[in-house]
Amino acid sequence: MTASLAQPATRAGSTRRVPVAHRVPMIISRAAWYVLCGLLAVTMLLPLLWTVSIALKSNGEINQLPPTFFPHEFELSNFVTGPAQIHFYRLLANTLIVTVVSTAGAMASSMIVGYGISRIDFPGRRLWFALISGSIFVPGVIGLIPLQRLYINLGLIDTWLPLILPSLFGSPIFIFLARQYYQSIPRYIDESATIDGAGHWTIFTRIMVPLTKPVWITIAIMSFQFAWNDYLNPLIYLQSPDLFTLSLGMASFLSDQAGSQYNYYMATNLLFMAPPLVLFFLAQRYFMEGLGSLGTVSK
Amino acid sequence: MSRTLTAPPVDPMTPEPATTVRRRRRLLRRDTIVGYLFIAPAIFGLVLFIGYPMITSLYHSFTEWNGLTPPQWIGLENYVFMFTQDPKFWPSLRVTLLWVVISVPVTLAAGLALAVLVDRSTRGVKIFRTIFYLPVVLPAVAVLTLWKYIYEPTYGLANQVLRFLHLPTSLWLGDARVALPAILIVGVWSVGGTMMIFLAGLQAVPAEVHEAATVDGAGAINRFFRITLPMIGPIMMLQLMLGLNGAFQTFNQVAILTKGGPGTSTNLLMYKIYNDGFADFLSSPQLGYATAEVWVLFVIVMIVTIAMQRLTRRRIYQGEGG
Repeated sequence: MTASLAQPATRAGSTRRVPVAHRVPMIISRAAWYVLCGLLAVTMLLPLLWTVSIALKSNGEINQLPPTFFPHEFELSNFVTGPAQIHFYRLLANTLIVTVVSTAGAMASSMIVGYGISRIDFPGRRLWFALISGSIFVPGVIGLIPLQRLYINLGLIDTWLPLILPSLFGSPIFIFLARQYYQSIPRYIDESATIDGAGHWTIFTRIMVPLTKPVWITIAIMSFQFAWNDYLNPLIYLQSPDLFTLSLGMASFLSDQAGSQYNYYMATNLLFMAPPLVLFFLAQRYFMEGLGSLGTVSK
Repeated sequence: MSRTLTAPPVDPMTPEPATTVRRRRRLLRRDTIVGYLFIAPAIFGLVLFIGYPMITSLYHSFTEWNGLTPPQWIGLENYVFMFTQDPKFWPSLRVTLLWVVISVPVTLAAGLALAVLVDRSTRGVKIFRTIFYLPVVLPAVAVLTLWKYIYEPTYGLANQVLRFLHLPTSLWLGDARVALPAILIVGVWSVGGTMMIFLAGLQAVPAEVHEAATVDGAGAINRFFRITLPMIGPIMMLQLMLGLNGAFQTFNQVAILTKGGPGTSTNLLMYKIYNDGFADFLSSPQLGYATAEVWVLFVIVMIVTIAMQRLTRRRIYQGEGG
């Protein structure tokens, strides 16, 4: 693996002529690259293909020994029976509500704070930015017990509010991303708007929101993923099965049904994976660019 | 650059020094108020989600507290019990450190290797990038429950593949020596996020630098260690710190895959804290003791994070100087 990794990566834009003597090794290295990537891709996809296979198996075939890789017949009813066992669609609605509200909250709050921290000049700005970006590295475990007690005391335990509230206060990492983007926007834009009498709120809503579309879409996607995937917070804050999110419901589905009903489980699991997958294929560019913008953080 | 906003360009034809100064001050004061209004959510957030928990939990770590009756001050007793009597604490700390020391470098190396692999413009590279990234998109619980069945000894995919290759099978999560590496494999499977971050860093390295080095006769390995690594140093540092932070607080994997077992082989500190703090709603939770454990974990993470930051920063500067 290391040998082919060390091969020179041909870059976009470097269309220099290759000496004849180098062409044959280049073809070999390219073939080796395809073989390696292909093998890795198959390995990566295998667990997912296997999930699909399990999800399609009948009750009899699921416990057959030795296990088959391809199902003999497609038991599509698993996609009805499975979800019914955990009230899947109710949990889906719960998860959608929590996810959509907290995503909207995270987007709005992070973009607003990001604007303030990068485009309004006021004393203490640097300090606050240092505190906000430093807090990215503060281990979240510190809030585990105190916040649960706080929500118990406020009577908010076993509601969705503890899952939604944090997003309204701007997530440090999103504020950081937003600031990076705001700083790339030329100053003269707000200066001319200021001369025309526009206040910061007007500049933010009328000028910046349209200009920063890529970053707030990135924030929306990341925040959607955080909320959709979150397991520990719902585990601590929710007790009634009626309020469960899918992460919680799916985890308890597994511990209740240990063993034999994996075809139901995997069919349901595929439905659980579907919304983020659909979102990913619709907005693939933003998923990858968003992480990329984390990668270009160099200050 | 930032100062220009409060001082709009004054028309040089009508010099009014006194009013300009006053106007500038008024603008500055207005900007201060507006600025703080804009960042107010984050300030409240810092106070509510970091300041408040830090202060209250530091106090609670010195108390005995079951969550029903008010906390009783017991001084250092929680910490003394933790370090000298709790039979599960040292094994848990040991396995946590082991997990961090192994999983963080492996994950970073795998992510970087994949990034280097797909950092080219060959036809089809985008498909491979998408496939390698795909597991990251899936919900953590969906991935973990899927892997739990993959590791199932009789019907699971892992042993199915091993049998197909005529290799000895394993009990996977049921074997105390294999359980932790098995959890790590799940992490490596979803390393696509790390890959994408590194890829962005690699693509920011100008192609000319590589070409110049190639012309000067630098081999591929040499170029990787002398050019690529130093240039992505800051990203490496960020990834390292986020990776350490995450690894110390690993919870989902253990909670879903192994429940800390077999024995104490995967009883990571975060999972132990959860169990001591709230797992048993029926018996009284030991909130004071769990909070003391939180503080031990918190201090370790902060020390390691700061130390890594110092260390890597120095190394990067040396790289630039040399």
